[in-house]
Amino acid sequence: MKSLVLVLCGILFMSLGCSKDRNFDERELHLISPEKISGFDPIHVSDMYSGNESGKVYEGLFEFHPLKRPYELMPNLAESLPTVSEDGLTYTFKIKKGVLFHDSPAFPNGKGRELKSEDVLYSIKRLADPKLQAKGWWVLDDRIAGLNEWKEKNAALDASNYAEEIEGLKKIDDHTFAIKLKKPFPQFLYALAMPYTFIVAKEAVEHFGKEFLNHPVGTGPFILPVFEQTNRIVYTKNPTFREKFYPSEGEEGDDKLGLLADAGKKIPLVDKIIVDIIVEAQPKWLSFQKAKADLFEIPKDFFDSAVVGGKELAPDLKSKGIRLFANAQLDTTFFAFNNDDMLFKTNKKLRQAISLSWNREEANKLFYNSSAVQAQSVIPPGLGGYRKEFKNPYVKYDLEQAKKLLAEAGYPGGKGLPAITIQTRNETVARQIIEHFAKNLEKIGVTIKVGMNTWPELVNKVTKRQHQMYTMAWGADYPDAENFLGLLYCPNSSPGSNGSNYCNPEFDALYKAATILQDSPERTAMYEKMNEMVAMENPWVFGFHRTKFYLSQAWLKNYKFMEFNHSQFQYLSVDLEVKKELSKKF
Amino acid sequence: MKTNSLWKDAFIRLSKDKLALVSLIIVLTYFFVAILSALGLIASNWSQEVGASNLAPSMEHFFGTDIFGRSVLLKVIRGTQVAMSVGVAASIIAIPIGVLLGALAGYFGGWIDDFVTWLYTTFSSVPNIMLLISITLILGKGIFAVYIALGATSWVTLCRLIRGEVMKHKEREYVQAAGAIGGGHFRKLFRHILPNVSHIIIINTSMQFQIAIKSEVILSYLGLGVQGEPSWGTMIDDAKLELVRGVWWQLAGATVAMFFILLAFNILSDALRDALDPKLKGK
Repeated sequence: MKSLVLVLCGILFMSLGCSKDRNFDERELHLISPEKISGFDPIHVSDMYSGNESGKVYEGLFEFHPLKRPYELMPNLAESLPTVSEDGLTYTFKIKKGVLFHDSPAFPNGKGRELKSEDVLYSIKRLADPKLQAKGWWVLDDRIAGLNEWKEKNAALDASNYAEEIEGLKKIDDHTFAIKLKKPFPQFLYALAMPYTFIVAKEAVEHFGKEFLNHPVGTGPFILPVFEQTNRIVYTKNPTFREKFYPSEGEEGDDKLGLLADAGKKIPLVDKIIVDIIVEAQPKWLSFQKAKADLFEIPKDFFDSAVVGGKELAPDLKSKGIRLFANAQLDTTFFAFNNDDMLFKTNKKLRQAISLSWNREEANKLFYNSSAVQAQSVIPPGLGGYRKEFKNPYVKYDLEQAKKLLAEAGYPGGKGLPAITIQTRNETVARQIIEHFAKNLEKIGVTIKVGMNTWPELVNKVTKRQHQMYTMAWGADYPDAENFLGLLYCPNSSPGSNGSNYCNPEFDALYKAATILQDSPERTAMYEKMNEMVAMENPWVFGFHRTKFYLSQAWLKNYKFMEFNHSQFQYLSVDLEVKKELSKKF
Repeated sequence: MKTNSLWKDAFIRLSKDKLALVSLIIVLTYFFVAILSALGLIASNWSQEVGASNLAPSMEHFFGTDIFGRSVLLKVIRGTQVAMSVGVAASIIAIPIGVLLGALAGYFGGWIDDFVTWLYTTFSSVPNIMLLISITLILGKGIFAVYIALGATSWVTLCRLIRGEVMKHKEREYVQAAGAIGGGHFRKLFRHILPNVSHIIIINTSMQFQIAIKSEVILSYLGLGVQGEPSWGTMIDDAKLELVRGVWWQLAGATVAMFFILLAFNILSDALRDALDPKLKGK
């Protein structure tokens, strides 16, 4: 009995110790990464979670404004937006002066040197280096004059020759350089804001060799001398970070939300960032409830315990000052018909009948807690080309009209129509969504079968056109509707990204004309026209634009949802007074 | 003195074992339910909505309803049909392969034995679940692929046992006697030896049956099994996400159904071995 009491006391002290070890002297930001980190070599950072980590240490020439919406590109390492030649092919960039790399043993005396234009050109060449097999090469593949040729030439050599001059990459002086494109590429600057094109130092790459991915040496606001592949990453403020300030303008209403309170202050605003890597939903949720994380994305199945009635935050969370953020995603889910299949290609009415018989409202309730927006066409809200007023007449639940169209399509009551197989991912919710779809279509006499696949199998089936229908979601790579409209562009047909193999010459002509234009009202109008054109054609059964839900602790300041958020963390802050006060409640 | 035949003797011994009898009744009930369901007499309307989404068990819905408002009870029954059919089909495929290969190898020896031994050691050296997954990936998904995959992997144990037993028997006096009066290989093997080792088939089948049921559940849980039909495996897969919200009845329905049939088969195969194996006689 005595020993039991001792053990209980021990546990009690340990738990007291835990809550006492909270640090109220330094501004610490506690975050959770829901996936393992694949390393810190920018050219290989292909997933969002590794991108978030790299973005704390490295920087690109551009970044997205943390507050302004729609997303606006702003110069980061670049001094200003580039000047573009009249033919739209040559971009001249100026980079900021006095930007220092982190202190590292890679440099003489261990002191980080100044960023120069060679570093930018070196980082771009690295992306093309055939020896490195960069995951991000697709971003610049066939874009920059001479770069593909350089890549091919070096594939045969033992070591790539970085000294060789390339037509498209030209140094003008230490802080000025020019990039020449092969053909117009209006999304070019977006590519320079992606983690793939973060700037690295040649000395660091050479000094660390194969270990470079664990020794990030960037110019960013935080430093991490070694990444030890553990489940906790601790970043500290970069003491030599340049003068960079919190923005003084944002979207309308940001002022009232207190998002401009730190306007003009030098960033980063916290001293330390601690990232815990927690994959499982349950421990993540517990960790947030114990105030060990400042920000938390609610997994679908915990939704009901955090949000009451689909809208209100649960009272126990509210009493601790926790705030709820519902953030619309730049994504679209869909069921695509394979228009290669004569069944669908020639029969628009069949496609429309199928679209009309899916009860999307019910699906939204069952699978997205009624939080998703029904997609009228391809482009999600938040991107130019989406019109709120536009309603697709075939995106509704109307069994009578569906039956009528099915009869007109030649299959009255579904008679004569073969069973249709929909390919999907081997995952519980994915299967349930198709079961729901099938249950709905049964009502008009159409039989749907489920085809479950591993992710590579599904991709393989779609690229080889071995599918009748498949379902997927597409998330934006950058804030330009071109990224979505390209999914229905004929030359992108399988094995490209147009898995529905939809071809419409009128659409293709518009796409070709629009995608070489810079952002303009004219281009937006063209996007709108294309978006509404495909809506009527129904090459897909349009699904949803989904919403993510985040919870933040009361002391986390300046948080605003960002789709492309790898550079966001330097703007976040922690109110120590509030934290000290509220911590008693946890 | 009048003696009973092996089978009659076994039946008498089995009927004295109360637990085994109860197990037998449970197994027969499952078969009965599966047959009724296969004939469409019960649970044919499983896909219809009977109430709201995720209703808890009540007098109206004994096992509650699933996410689409379908009756969990009917899904369990339909799942029973799937599970039992997999057991039967796997046995129908595995028994002839196992018996034939085992008997030929044990009787003839030589290169035939070498070949069969090589074949089954190769099969048994690959982890079973891996083999199942790769076969279903090649054949495409669906219940027939599951039948074939399980049939093609579960003959190994039976083959090995039959081979050993036939080796033992072929030197016995009764086989020599059969040879002496002019019986050929075929007659010796199939008329004389096999009936004397046939109890092994029954014991082995009752053990393999439950392995087949478990494997079907695992494959369906992984999304490689039955498609578009309820299975205990897919029900457990659904429940994985629902449990957080306190929806436990789908998991309960599937696991309880699985628990009883597996337990019954286990006890029954134990009892069958006691009853049928001559070496255990009188123990």
